[in-house]
Amino acid sequence: MVVSPVVLMVVGAVVGAVALAFVFQRAGGRLLFGLGLGAIAGAFGSALFMVPLDYCTFEAERESLDRVFGAIFVLAGIALVVTPVGWLSGKLLRHESLMSGEQTQGTFRHWWIALPLLAPTLTILILFLYYPSLETLRLSTMLSRLGARREVFVCVDNFTRLVDDPAYADTFIRTMYMSFFIVVLSMSLSLLIATMAYLPLRGASIYRILLVWPYAMSPAVAGIIFLLMFNPSGGLVNYLFGKWFGIKLGWLNDPAVAPWTVILASVWKSMGFNILFYIAGLQNVPKDLIEAGAIDGAGLLRRFWHIVWPMLSPITFFLVVTNLTYAFFETYATIDYLTPGGGPLQSTTTMMYRVIQLGVQNNDMGKAAAQSIVLFLTVIGMTVVLFRTGGRQVNYGV
Amino acid sequence: MTAAYRETARVTPASSWKKTVRSWLPKRWYAHLILVVACFMSGIPLFYALIVSTQTNAEVFRYQFTPGSGLESNWNVVFYERHLHTYMINSVIMTAGITIGKTVFSLLSGLAFVYFRFPGKWLVFGFVLITLMMPTEVLIIALFRFINDLDWQNTYYALIVPFTASATGTFLFRQHFASIPAELSEAAQLDGANPLQFLFRILVPMSWNTIGALAVVQTIYAWNMYLWPNMIISDPDMQTIQTGIGTLRLGGGALRFGPLMLGTVIVSLPPVIVFILLQKQFMSGFTLTRDK
Amino acid sequence: MKKLVFLSIALVMVMALALPASPISAQEKTKIDVWIAFQDYRWDWAKEVAAEFNEMFPQYEVVVTGGYSYETMFAQVAVAAEQGQLPAVVQYFEAATQDARDSGLFKPIADALGDRTEILGMKVDMEDYVAPVIAYYTLDGKFTSMPWNTSSAIMFTNMDYLRAAGWDKPPATWQEIDAACEAVMALDNAPEYCWTFPNHGWFFEQWLAVQDALYVNNGNGREARATEVAFNSDAGVAILQWLDDQYDKGYLYYSGAQGGDSWSTVDQAYSTQQVAIAVYSSSDTTLYTETMSEEGGFESVASFYPYNDEVGWTGNLIGGATLWLVDGLDPAVEEGALAFLVYFTNTENAADWHKVTGYIPIRMSAYQMLIDEGYYEDHPSQTVALEQLAQSQITPATSGALVGGFPAIRNVVTAAIDRVLLTDDDPAEVLAQAAAESNVIIEEYNLLNAP
Repeated sequence: MVVSPVVLMVVGAVVGAVALAFVFQRAGGRLLFGLGLGAIAGAFGSALFMVPLDYCTFEAERESLDRVFGAIFVLAGIALVVTPVGWLSGKLLRHESLMSGEQTQGTFRHWWIALPLLAPTLTILILFLYYPSLETLRLSTMLSRLGARREVFVCVDNFTRLVDDPAYADTFIRTMYMSFFIVVLSMSLSLLIATMAYLPLRGASIYRILLVWPYAMSPAVAGIIFLLMFNPSGGLVNYLFGKWFGIKLGWLNDPAVAPWTVILASVWKSMGFNILFYIAGLQNVPKDLIEAGAIDGAGLLRRFWHIVWPMLSPITFFLVVTNLTYAFFETYATIDYLTPGGGPLQSTTTMMYRVIQLGVQNNDMGKAAAQSIVLFLTVIGMTVVLFRTGGRQVNYGV
Repeated sequence: MTAAYRETARVTPASSWKKTVRSWLPKRWYAHLILVVACFMSGIPLFYALIVSTQTNAEVFRYQFTPGSGLESNWNVVFYERHLHTYMINSVIMTAGITIGKTVFSLLSGLAFVYFRFPGKWLVFGFVLITLMMPTEVLIIALFRFINDLDWQNTYYALIVPFTASATGTFLFRQHFASIPAELSEAAQLDGANPLQFLFRILVPMSWNTIGALAVVQTIYAWNMYLWPNMIISDPDMQTIQTGIGTLRLGGGALRFGPLMLGTVIVSLPPVIVFILLQKQFMSGFTLTRDK
Repeated sequence: MKKLVFLSIALVMVMALALPASPISAQEKTKIDVWIAFQDYRWDWAKEVAAEFNEMFPQYEVVVTGGYSYETMFAQVAVAAEQGQLPAVVQYFEAATQDARDSGLFKPIADALGDRTEILGMKVDMEDYVAPVIAYYTLDGKFTSMPWNTSSAIMFTNMDYLRAAGWDKPPATWQEIDAACEAVMALDNAPEYCWTFPNHGWFFEQWLAVQDALYVNNGNGREARATEVAFNSDAGVAILQWLDDQYDKGYLYYSGAQGGDSWSTVDQAYSTQQVAIAVYSSSDTTLYTETMSEEGGFESVASFYPYNDEVGWTGNLIGGATLWLVDGLDPAVEEGALAFLVYFTNTENAADWHKVTGYIPIRMSAYQMLIDEGYYEDHPSQTVALEQLAQSQITPATSGALVGGFPAIRNVVTAAIDRVLLTDDDPAEVLAQAAAESNVIIEEYNLLNAP
């Protein structure tokens, strides 16, 4: 080993001890106890990820990239253990109730009845969500094929190889920009249409139904219908384009255009959902506020930007998160029907698509698991960033 | 800012109020135009699919816009050659199972979180909420192996059971129950009702909007599921429709668009109908409309 | 409350009805499960033959289950193996041969048959098969699996276009295609493109085989376990170079679809006469030379796979799938399964299968029978695939590659073709990269599977 596990534990212990000492100091607890608790928590945290990995990232033959991963895991482990311990001890020391601000009236006397009530949901979640998550983590450190004689432990190779892989970088960037456009285009068009549709026009309810129903379509169906229409050699769109404009685009076989066909199909399908929520959101904006703005002499756009838009922010926020999830995960069906095989030059291969291609077609489960973890972290990361930036700007009322 | 303006608004006489409203509202025709165009764009793909579903391949490639002559043969292909009804039944069972299961389990857990105090409650709640961040797509490879280990491949269990727990549902019901005055449950307890009776006799009748909203979302979600059924079902008799319509592409020959579109249209009808029928519940269930 | 209870009960009842049936209690019949990867008319045919067998031998009950595709069949079998729930017979495609071999799940047919020349009163003749078929499926000197649906790669030509351009028979070589296309594209009613093929790695393998070039090392994986690919040779580069050339000249139509879904784009292009020539699998000969011809009103003929004039023609590969016998079966089941396999692929059935589908008649006796019947006078195009295989020289290159992770490697090759056609990248470089990627796949496969 390049770095001994003991050294790592000591590092963890020091970090933990310092952190908890700080907490204890502020909460008025015994410093020595805090140091001790922190040391234990920190040491344990440093081993949290490394013990299952058997400290493999620090073995002599490994490269520096592996060490970097190892270091990240150690730090992450420390943070994951020390933070809750610190939070808990802080609360306990300040004698705050662990159950905050909950209604105490109206609750039933026999608290243990709650357990069987929760049991179905919890069991399913543990069995079918948490356990597969652990299994995914385990698989990501393996070379594994269905039907093979054995599995081989490869430490973090499935991850480190992604770092140098230009094809994966392409996939990553492509997923990002496709998702960006799906979300932005869908939401901005929906907002525009919703502002028209929420007005008390004649036939507004008919408009609404006609605009919103694509939400009920499945991504698969969107893919199929667009396959019919945008087929480069027999599809309606190219036929009309040829007649009217004299040009034909390679909707599905041109690597520059194919992603846009997917984006178009995805936007078409998701607009219904966004329009629905925006209409509802717009209806919640008090009309007198807008009128007041009009009296003030503010123009249409200024009124919109300064009054309506901030009031829509909770809905916008919710929609961004939902649309992001849709763009990253559910466009798989659309891509599979529209450009099976991942598109010319893999131009419509998103990260999700690549995971399935690797795991199912190439029977390479380890790499697929590793890539799904990267995908997951990416989405989490983006959501967290959104929560931090957008969350502050969201105001829930005047 | 607001109080003063509200005052002004109330005091302003009727005619200038109308003028104010009109000055904010864009000209009606402008709105109508945009909306019509939008509806057009929104509806054309399915409308075209509808037309194509009645045509033979030859007519499709001639780009005729009127219904064609192939409806009967397309129908035969869809139902007799390709057994779409088998797939639809499977999807109905799967969708019903998931929707009912999820609703019931979420009701129970919502009840537990609002009307009980037990140690570690927030921990458990957090435990459930975190799963919002764990979409099945990420876990799908491991889930595939696990379901196979359970020997559930090609069964309804595999399609239904993993999806009967829902953080969204639990969260929704929790929010909804928490907004109900506590006196109600106190009164129920005084009457000697046990928690389940309270749930089904009192809470549920008050929650139809939320239940309806969840049902709409779940039905659409379950009906439209593609990735998971694709992976776990290899037996053609057990396949669900989203993958099933894909078999219409196989055709044993050239790609036949007529049957494919007919299948697509049929497949899209149920969720659309459910959505339109339950639209009101959907809107109020998510407290999207101003509450009564 | 009542509503919910009622609904829940209804749900439970529905689920109970729909649950997979519990295992059938022991009957006198020995049940033989056969899993094949078809869901269409081919599955129907197999079920009919199984019904005939069941009537002939009432002590057995053969049940043929259909499936999606070869890839899902493979995954299904792997899973069933872990559960200990394997059927008696499984259909694997040719690329999965190495996996089948490594899995240890199957018993070579030769071992199961022993020296017998008949089983249950039916004659057994394992030498009656077309030579390339025997060559492909003989591993370690033993006939391993039962050939069933075998095809080869051939070419279909829309003779209306060619005759108008002054050609009275289809082009035979790459160079002739070039010349023919030049003529065809100069016509007034020229099609949009001259020729096309499904972008599936199998066609690349065929073009290597006709040039007598190896796909992987160690005698194409037959002398010893394959450890590296060999397709990044001059022959391989020549293929990509030629395809790129044809695409740049506007002769080759490429739909952008890759792999399994690219076949239907070729169907569409040929049947709507947007291309004059389609390089395709012989398994759809009937469709291309008869059905499309009738519906489209054009003359469509089959001919040999185009080869590289500069290198000459060695022979073509087979494609398709075979039936594997599971090892460790109950002796009664194994006996029944073996008998069924023999019946399923006997002379009459082989001839019938050929007529119904277009897969080659794998037995020479079946071929002879059809000739005697005069079948080929009405269907001249149907002989092409078999003739091509019968005339092929048997070399390691034309015996087909045996390597693990073959489907994944095929995808890599398909992507390489895609890249060469759509970009200006140098074919040699692209192929070299594909080779590097494939070598990693083989290495990992061997790591996990080599004994």
